[in-house]
Amino acid sequence: MKFAHMADCHIGSWRDPKLKDISTEAFIKAVDKCILEKVEFILIAGDLFNTSLPRLDNLKTVVTQFRILKNKNIPVYIVPGSHDYSPSGKTMLDVLEEAGLFVNVVKGEVIENKLKLNFTVDEKTGAKITGLLGKRGSLEKSYYESLHTENLENEDGYKIFIFHSGIDELKPKEMENIISQPLSLLPKNFDYYAGGHMHIVKDAKINGYGIIAYPGPLFPNSFSELEKLERGGFYIVEDNKLRWEPIQMYNTHKIIIDCSHKAPEHVEQEINEQIKGREFFNTIVLIRLFGSLASGKPTDINFKDIFERLYAKAAHFVMKNTNALTTKEFEEIKIDIKSVEDAEDKLIKEHLGQIKVKGLNAEKEAEITKELMRVLSEEKAEGMTKPDYEKKIRDEAKRVLELEL
Amino acid sequence: MLWCSKITKGQVISGEFGKILVRQKSTEKVELGELLIADTNGAKILMQVFDLIYGSQVSQQNLELISGFSLEDNKNFDFMDPKMRNYMLARLKSLATIRDNNAYVSKQMPEFFSEVREIRKEDLNFLAKPKNPLFIGNLRSGSKILEVPIYLQGDKVLSHHILIAGTTGRGKSVLVSNILWSAVDEDYCGILVLDPHDEYYGRNKFGLKDHPKNDKVVYYTPGKAPAGARTLKINLELIKPQHFDGVVDFSDAQRQALNLYYKYFGKTWIEAIILEKKPEGIVFRDDTLAVVKRRLLYLLDLEFTSSQLFCRGIFDLKAGESAIADICRELENGNIVIIDTSNFSGAVEILIGSLITTEIFNKYRYYKMNGILDQKPVISIILEEAPRVLGKEVLEKGSNIFSTIAREGRKFKIGIAAITQLPSLIPREILANMNTKIILGIEMKPERQAIIESASQDLSDDDRTIASLDIGEALVSSNFAKFALPVSIPFFEEFAKKDLNLDKENNVKKEFGGVKLL
Repeated sequence: MKFAHMADCHIGSWRDPKLKDISTEAFIKAVDKCILEKVEFILIAGDLFNTSLPRLDNLKTVVTQFRILKNKNIPVYIVPGSHDYSPSGKTMLDVLEEAGLFVNVVKGEVIENKLKLNFTVDEKTGAKITGLLGKRGSLEKSYYESLHTENLENEDGYKIFIFHSGIDELKPKEMENIISQPLSLLPKNFDYYAGGHMHIVKDAKINGYGIIAYPGPLFPNSFSELEKLERGGFYIVEDNKLRWEPIQMYNTHKIIIDCSHKAPEHVEQEINEQIKGREFFNTIVLIRLFGSLASGKPTDINFKDIFERLYAKAAHFVMKNTNALTTKEFEEIKIDIKSVEDAEDKLIKEHLGQIKVKGLNAEKEAEITKELMRVLSEEKAEGMTKPDYEKKIRDEAKRVLELEL
Repeated sequence: MLWCSKITKGQVISGEFGKILVRQKSTEKVELGELLIADTNGAKILMQVFDLIYGSQVSQQNLELISGFSLEDNKNFDFMDPKMRNYMLARLKSLATIRDNNAYVSKQMPEFFSEVREIRKEDLNFLAKPKNPLFIGNLRSGSKILEVPIYLQGDKVLSHHILIAGTTGRGKSVLVSNILWSAVDEDYCGILVLDPHDEYYGRNKFGLKDHPKNDKVVYYTPGKAPAGARTLKINLELIKPQHFDGVVDFSDAQRQALNLYYKYFGKTWIEAIILEKKPEGIVFRDDTLAVVKRRLLYLLDLEFTSSQLFCRGIFDLKAGESAIADICRELENGNIVIIDTSNFSGAVEILIGSLITTEIFNKYRYYKMNGILDQKPVISIILEEAPRVLGKEVLEKGSNIFSTIAREGRKFKIGIAAITQLPSLIPREILANMNTKIILGIEMKPERQAIIESASQDLSDDDRTIASLDIGEALVSSNFAKFALPVSIPFFEEFAKKDLNLDKENNVKKEFGGVKLL
């Protein structure tokens, strides 16, 4: 048996024009590789898209790839992730599944207030596949707590469980603050646990469980991911042995400078020295500055000039991160969060239940709040008229709130 | 027990301060450890019986003669006015003077010939529930259990260390279970429990998992984790040489090797030792490294075959990177973290404790330095068989994180709850630092003596009382109590099940949005 396991494709995640199609292109490469490798089926462990209603141009490309896979008789099995799941139930994944392009394996029935999942059987291989979706703020944990595990654990045959959640035991140190759940909530006795959500490349075997694997994203989704992973990839699993298949889109070049006791002009000088005599074809350049400047402010560093120099040296894209760069001229403010999403989650959780709405429990309120924040933060797409944009936001808000505005 | 009527138990007839002699009323019974009250000058003097003796108006010689007639000649003699002539005498010590619902250290004696009565509920109004309560048990008067729950100020008591001493079977585990159960409801403390008998979570019986707020109970186990529990995995990269202090008795040369490997290879130092990597420019004796390697392989349950390192136990190359940080975060959130160490050797259990304790101690030191310690809950570390890490013999070989906490922890809001049958093995200066001692029945005199000599209150007259403590009876001596409190520890299930709302399983229909339901 040979199959591919990918996750966190996040199609449409990058907004900058130079990178906005990169996740789609990574997906095309991954699909091509799967065809070349003659895999028998593909698993996508959540967050195929970055939102539940992706941009049409991205959608078109993805549909084409699924159509190619369908024509080649390579079925795709997915679970929705925290980004492409919608609490209102309106997600593009449903449309694509309806069109027969893939199978969402999160199926089951509710028996005595508990969730009993059913298996989807891959016709060619007989592999039995099931799984659970991911939700924002890891709210899927309550599903696991209400899961009938007996039928899943006692089923014979080669079994795969697809999930989109962080696992306490496998969480890397730098993700110690993300919300995760214990491994014991996953049903035991599966041969392969196809994970998504944690953007790490990791596999492990822990007693009672088969291989638990996270392939990481198909392409890194942020500065820090680019810095750490450099590239994305996915697993090819053959006879239950894993091989991580990288997807090389661009090279990365890192410039990391400790700015402590340095003036802004010295920092600039140091950067210029590091890029002197080099070309950056097909390269994403990452500049990370940290420490406390001896004088001046971070904005005194002439990034415009540095960026221009790098683009003149054929860099594909240049990014900077000055989050840990401080100056003695300002008081330091520290907050205990690791990401914007984390901060939002904490604030939402703090304020839940302040306004009482009939039939709205805390879990749903949190979901709606997050979804509404996402809708309201959506920017006007290129070429879209202002009235169209306003109508789109109104419609989206109406959908989330299930209201007539 | 009836609380309403005034029951006179006896009368003060002689004695001195701290040793008041009371004649018992013939119709009443006075017990060792019983609490009695003498009303005097608008105040009440709370006293406790610490000795009982016989008294008689008949001379000893005549008593012996009468006994002889009775035993040898089967002649029955009746005493004239027997209740007047033969009686019981009790020695009492003053515990506190109660005035206007406040208790003060006793500085006066009850009036001569004053009546001594049974204690009433209203006498004990000064025993109010403090702000951050830690439930210990119910007040006990002799063997009678009073309906007065005893709470100590938990944040103070936990950070100033607790000693729980008692012979096996006297109720130490029940006491800890009760303390943990009631602490789940509180947010002022996080408690780490190293559980060598896997008895507190209740994997297969009633336990903390059944608490209505069981989301505040975090359970780590190396074996098959029940749903919701975490599999204990600790990444090898989290271990530093200092974590072995007090765990493994390495020689100086071996310890130097550990430190140099850590300095040279950083986080992968254990792997480097096992894989026999050589730090450049540093030469060790082969046998030193061979011993270190063998001991690490054994202790950490690693396997080295075909030049590859395999992890068989809880220490892992891939998993458990955030385990220690996760545990510390749970403690900082005021939760109870139970680590099932029942399958580990003592050394591994101590190593795990050392890893977690070092991390939380360093964090709290950092918080203090940054002025945010006040916002953090107090942390308590429950250590069974405490002399393993706090014993004189162990500490003679060098200090460890537990002894450091025993000495300095309270400054950083971290305390140890040391459980032992043999308190005499713990050095006197550490025992003296344990400002609350919960004493259960102890038969061995040297063990009683070790506690009496380091107690917060003067227990020099209580040796007999401690020896006579029955199962579930305890004496609590604390810097945070006005006097040594006699308590009765309720049975865990009876105590805990009172808190349980049997209708907990609510019938709210669960929703599973996003699941395609058939």
